[in-house]
Amino acid sequence: MSLLASHNPSAIPGARFMDPVVLARIGNLSLVSRAVVDGFINGLHKAPYFGASVDFAEHRGYVPGDDIRRVDWRVWARTDRYYVKEYEAESNMNFSVLLDVSKSMDYGSIGITKLDYARILTACLTNLVHHQRDRVGFVAFDEDIVEHVPPSAKHMETVLHVLDRIKPGRPGRLREPLHKLAEHFGRRGVLVVISDFYEDPETVVDAVTPLRFRGNDLVVFHVLDPAELDFGFSNASAFEDLESGDQIPVVPEAMRKEYISLVRAHVDALQQRFSEVRVDYTLLDTSKPLDHALFRFLGGREKKMRLR
Amino acid sequence: MSFLAPLFFAALAALAIPVLIHLIQREKKQVVRFPSLMFVQRVPYKSVRRRRIHNWLLLMVRLTALALIVLAFARPFLQRDDLDTAVGTGAREVVVLLDQSYSITYGDHWERARAAANNAINGLGPDDRASVVLFSSGAEIALRSATPGERQRLTAAVTAAKPAAGATRYAPALKVAGSILADSSLPRREVVLISDFQRVGWRGEEGARLPNGTTITPVAITGGTETPNVAVTGVSLARSTFSNQERVAVTAVVVNRGMASLRGSQLALEFGGRAIQSKPLDVEANSSTSVTFDPVTVAGTFMRGSVRAGDDALATDNVFHFVVSPAQPVRVIVIDRGGTGGGALYLTRALAIGDAPRFETVARQPDTLSDDDLRRASVVLLNDIAVPAALARRLQRFVEGGGGLFVAVGSRATWSQDVDVLPASVQAPVDRTRGDAARIGALEYGHPVFEPFRAPRSGDFAAARIYGYRTVMPTPDAQVLARFDGGAPALIERRIGAGRVLMWASTLDLSWNDFPLKPVYLPFVHRAAQYLAAYTEPSPWLTVGQVLDTSLGAVRSQPVSGVVLTPSGRRVAIDEEGAEVMELTEQGFYELRGGSGDAVSGVVASNVDTAESDLTAMDPKEIVAAATAGSDNGTQGGTAGLPPTPEAQERSQRLWWYVLFLGILLLGADTLISNRMSKT
Repeated sequence: MSLLASHNPSAIPGARFMDPVVLARIGNLSLVSRAVVDGFINGLHKAPYFGASVDFAEHRGYVPGDDIRRVDWRVWARTDRYYVKEYEAESNMNFSVLLDVSKSMDYGSIGITKLDYARILTACLTNLVHHQRDRVGFVAFDEDIVEHVPPSAKHMETVLHVLDRIKPGRPGRLREPLHKLAEHFGRRGVLVVISDFYEDPETVVDAVTPLRFRGNDLVVFHVLDPAELDFGFSNASAFEDLESGDQIPVVPEAMRKEYISLVRAHVDALQQRFSEVRVDYTLLDTSKPLDHALFRFLGGREKKMRLR
Repeated sequence: MSFLAPLFFAALAALAIPVLIHLIQREKKQVVRFPSLMFVQRVPYKSVRRRRIHNWLLLMVRLTALALIVLAFARPFLQRDDLDTAVGTGAREVVVLLDQSYSITYGDHWERARAAANNAINGLGPDDRASVVLFSSGAEIALRSATPGERQRLTAAVTAAKPAAGATRYAPALKVAGSILADSSLPRREVVLISDFQRVGWRGEEGARLPNGTTITPVAITGGTETPNVAVTGVSLARSTFSNQERVAVTAVVVNRGMASLRGSQLALEFGGRAIQSKPLDVEANSSTSVTFDPVTVAGTFMRGSVRAGDDALATDNVFHFVVSPAQPVRVIVIDRGGTGGGALYLTRALAIGDAPRFETVARQPDTLSDDDLRRASVVLLNDIAVPAALARRLQRFVEGGGGLFVAVGSRATWSQDVDVLPASVQAPVDRTRGDAARIGALEYGHPVFEPFRAPRSGDFAAARIYGYRTVMPTPDAQVLARFDGGAPALIERRIGAGRVLMWASTLDLSWNDFPLKPVYLPFVHRAAQYLAAYTEPSPWLTVGQVLDTSLGAVRSQPVSGVVLTPSGRRVAIDEEGAEVMELTEQGFYELRGGSGDAVSGVVASNVDTAESDLTAMDPKEIVAAATAGSDNGTQGGTAGLPPTPEAQERSQRLWWYVLFLGILLLGADTLISNRMSKT
């Protein structure tokens, strides 16, 4: 396995810029993710790795309840005040991808479905994180939790396997499964939510925000097909909702403008609401290469680290 | 517009088909699976409405095309009125009908009528053609279809027209106008009817129909009937004999048809143009009176009498002409065996009675009958005598020359077998003295002899008892006029040449029957004698429009040659081969002159139809409506009752071709539009 990765990390130069459609045809997630991630890493020499450091970050005043072992006695000796040492990040953090596998994700107008795109993205991220020796986990959900792979340093293969096997089936709902998961992720880590977010921005934010409560870093990828974004249909047709099965007669040219503005408003609302609750939000177009998503992800991580 | 097949409108329900297609077509087309309709659902309302507006044009085109095709199958056709308005332009064929009946001479009516005719002629367009038709009881084309260049001739024809003596009849004039218009090729047809529109001139439809699309413009010349309008409508002549001179008393009937009564006028009786008597005349409005003149001696033949009643607005009917001649007796020769018998007593006595006509009876015996007697006589009566062959031949010539022969066969009657004159061969007598006497049973009431007895209680032939009669065998060309109750012929007629022969199978005296004692005997003998003499009472006058029989005045109905002098002085030659009859057209006296042209062989008085003097006007619309049946717009009457020609019918129904073509054209346009729409 991983011939390409081991012998020549850049055996497929520019794989990360490849058309997701082409990547989807490769089928082997392991191979795909590695090809993408390796090339990506090679291209970013200075990229600060995830939780790779246990560097001191700052002192803060002791408050009752803090572990007294973390009191910096040298500072106390010098200043006669109790300070607690804060560190940059935890080493060996948990990394989990929460993938929406509801029926609406099984849509693609250009040869790759949103779910396939999300699979590749998940595989890439998992692969990337696994390189850091961090623990990787995976959760698939629709209206309930469908698959759950607990974070573990050894679960990389399992995650890829589950990812490969998974099939969209039921309509999706964010709130219940995500709230359930929020209670489940006890240990701090990085959570990546990938979904198409076909719910009200309020509901989405309400469903997603609890994942942050335990101090998790939360990254949200909003995956949309280009057809959903620019509504490039021409013939008047009956549109059938993938999840509910409802049909509506639609003349696309007549309503394209309003649809686009509605989607734009929706995305903007999500963006604003997520930024308010300090969640990284990235809109992904399945027609764009994956590196865009990865750049966004890693770029966002770097900024956050600098902030800290 | 109407429809030949309106049931096809049920197919309009097919209009629902495109609507339904428009409604359901798009939704069935294809289903696009889409992740979520969350945003789509937020704009559903507009999308549906816009889509329909987008297809309005197509829908309308399809609906119109379908409706047009259905309309075409319903076979629309234009009513004739529509066609008329469609051909309402172009050159006109105008027929000016000018009433020249004598009633138009009332007051200034004639001048006004001519002015109206000239107006109609002056109103003609540059391409119009016109005819002038003068009419009274008949119609005369004064000028037919004059071209625009012949306006002068039209005016001249109107100027030359004179009132005639005829009565008004509209139907012949309308028929003449109809024939002129029917021959015309011009698109518009018009009739200008100038008349005083007398009620008496119109008797209803009379089959006068004008061609399709003819316009009738009536010009009514009326007014002025509030003055007295007197007409002498007839005279009766009462003949009498006074000291061997025949006299006649004239009684005239005068009618005042005006709205004012006539007072202090005079009624004059003229003979030969000279007034010989005058009587005062007072007539109330709308009433009549009779005036009797004193008897006048009939001095000679063909006395021309006139009764003249003053002068009023309508002068033509104020005079009445008649002709008086001495009464002509019917000469009858009764051939009897003479002597003591007196068998002809009843016969001669019966013939001696009566004035109309008077019978001049001469009694002769078979051997004393001279040729001169036969020449003067009209009827010969053989009263039960044996006729020798020589006499029989003379009688045969007499009958063939137009004479009448009455043969009564009793016990002595014989007839030469060589001469075939009798209507039956005489055979053995039948004796009915024992038992019941024979009666006269079946009578041929249609025959002139028995015609007066036709009505009930007009004479009872069955009252006569016949005790004996001769059995007779009628010849094939004889007609049995009466039979005895046993069925044996009683009276037989046969025509020979111009004459007639009657045979009575019994006697005319009391030897074999009591018939002479019965009331019907006298009228029977009179009728038989009149019939055999072919007697007709000469009419003292005729009416304009009647036919003048030029044989009048001749003793026998033989063709005459000569000339007829009309009241206006015109000489009309009548030869043997030419017209033996001529229509009376003028008021006054017609003179018939013999072949030499000098001797007056007859005079006929001609009077106008006094019904015409009734000036009561009718509504011209009545004539317009009848002549242009099927149209309801009075003076501008459009169509005539003539059925349209097949071409015209086809033309009026051809509309559906255009409608169908338009519908198909629209379907083509629909295809183009929908193709273009599906491409974009």
